[in-house]
Amino acid sequence: MKPRHDKIEEAKKLSGAPGCVECGRCVAACPMAEMYVNFGIEMSPRGIIKKALVGDNIVEDRNIWYCTECNSGTDACPQGVSCRDLIRKLREAAIEENLVADARQCGSCGRYFLAVPVENFVFGRLEKEPANVLKALETCPSCRREIYLLRNA
Amino acid sequence: MDQKDRIDETDEIDQTDQKMEASRQPEPQLRLEDLRPRVPEKKKFSDWFMPRRNQVILFDPAKCTGCGTCEMICSTRNVAKVAPSQASVKVLTDEKLGKSFAVLCQHCRRPLCLEACPTRAIEKGDDGIVRINDLFCVDCGLCTMACPEAAPLRDPANQVVHKCDLCEGDPLCVKHCPEKALTTTRGKALRWIKAARWGVQALSFLFLVILVVGTFCYFRAGTVELSCPTGTLQNIASSGTLILVGASSALALLILTVLFGRVFCGWVCPFGFVLDLVDKITPKKIGWPNFLKSRMAKYGVLGGAVGSSAALGFQAFCTVCPIGTLCRSYGVQSVMQSAELAIVPILAATEIAERRSWCRYLCPVGATMGIASLLRLLKIVIGARKCKKFSCIQCAEVCPVGIIDADQLREGVSPKIPMTECIMCLRCVDRCPYSAAKVRFRWQKATPGEANQ
Repeated sequence: MKPRHDKIEEAKKLSGAPGCVECGRCVAACPMAEMYVNFGIEMSPRGIIKKALVGDNIVEDRNIWYCTECNSGTDACPQGVSCRDLIRKLREAAIEENLVADARQCGSCGRYFLAVPVENFVFGRLEKEPANVLKALETCPSCRREIYLLRNA
Repeated sequence: MDQKDRIDETDEIDQTDQKMEASRQPEPQLRLEDLRPRVPEKKKFSDWFMPRRNQVILFDPAKCTGCGTCEMICSTRNVAKVAPSQASVKVLTDEKLGKSFAVLCQHCRRPLCLEACPTRAIEKGDDGIVRINDLFCVDCGLCTMACPEAAPLRDPANQVVHKCDLCEGDPLCVKHCPEKALTTTRGKALRWIKAARWGVQALSFLFLVILVVGTFCYFRAGTVELSCPTGTLQNIASSGTLILVGASSALALLILTVLFGRVFCGWVCPFGFVLDLVDKITPKKIGWPNFLKSRMAKYGVLGGAVGSSAALGFQAFCTVCPIGTLCRSYGVQSVMQSAELAIVPILAATEIAERRSWCRYLCPVGATMGIASLLRLLKIVIGARKCKKFSCIQCAEVCPVGIIDADQLREGVSPKIPMTECIMCLRCVDRCPYSAAKVRFRWQKATPGEANQ
């Protein structure tokens, strides 16, 4: 197993995080502002990039588990930094170190496929739906399609 | 003095500052709800007569060979090149079963993806097509997470979400499917059973309530004798003797039940007709608390009615039976009879909680027929293959006794129907746009080549 530092370095290299000029465009474009009431600098892509650049304890930071891994920050960045790739790599590192308090495991294949805050947001939006529907949503999309195939084909 | 004044002044400033702080409200944050409010779907005048039928793609897994032409042709529309991973349709092949299946958007009547989208990028148009508005979509993939079928597809390479928009009404995949496994339809509901049922109900109401007094409970015309089966049971219990003539006349209705199910409840019962009419003027239902919802209660009422007749020596329940009082009501002869009639509006008022509450939970006549329908010949099936499940759920909405499990449909499973509870009104068969709900013989399979339900 690679040490944590190497993985973070790799993630930074892959996402181009050192090129960040802290302009804040990714924060303006980020859908998390709409999703969470406690959206702040620690949770925002800019905050996470900054924290990743200065230290290795970003992996333990629970703020990396709020991101939906969308393309908006990457699209908005003038420097071509991909906050999505950075966060995804950081999450992978966190899962390897078994820091999975905020990761949702697929009910069928056991893969970590979603972050718990994101899931809470989706379930909050769907709160009017009956419980069994929400239970069916606890599997990862590919497993869900597979289950659907087995039921209907 | 000067100093004191100064202190007072600073105090005042502090106080005003505090007041300012207190009076300053947290600035209301503008959310997408405010910027782009969701317009509730308007009900057109014509919807009262004909429900809007939207175009959907039907998929027949028996015909699909898993060739992937649909994926390829779909991606040419999405990204102007052949790249199956960027398509809005995904073909899955199960090696063990040797079967293929195409996952595609069903354009739900109440889309879950639309609720879940954080940027309000998903819209349902007037034509029923659920679209992703590319102006607002940020490819977060939450629609995939919210869909029971995971139909909005996210390309694993560049994380872009693609979802079917039916090619604005002329789907390319349907045009190019070499096996014709994909077809497009607007659905076709029967719609004539409804008119027939209302006609039969009105006629039988006219006949049982207005034309002949006391008809349903006991009816005799020449040699033809008919009587209420529950009344007959009570009669036997109270008199203690088996009256063969009465029993055979009661059998007529039970034989009808064995042949066709509880058609009496859905098509003939005059009180059921009254309940259906009351339902028309109370469209909003408040629902019963769960502990009151016991469908077995009606068998208890039946037992109580028979038992009380045996104990008291006369048919006690029949004096308050809403069906009976309604039948005996025309030409009210005494104060007693008009007092009895009060049960009808009281029970009709239960319609504000659930449709046909009386029939679901309490009616002992229905209970007798429910027992008889254990020997039924017919059943209603909701075919798994044609049924659109979570995207449609119209059958569960129209079912007056609520036996079609909407939760199962939402999960993507075709529901089984408890036929002892079914009143054979055929609303589901009438309403189903994809002819998935059908009347079948008990021993028949749901649809050819499908597992027996």
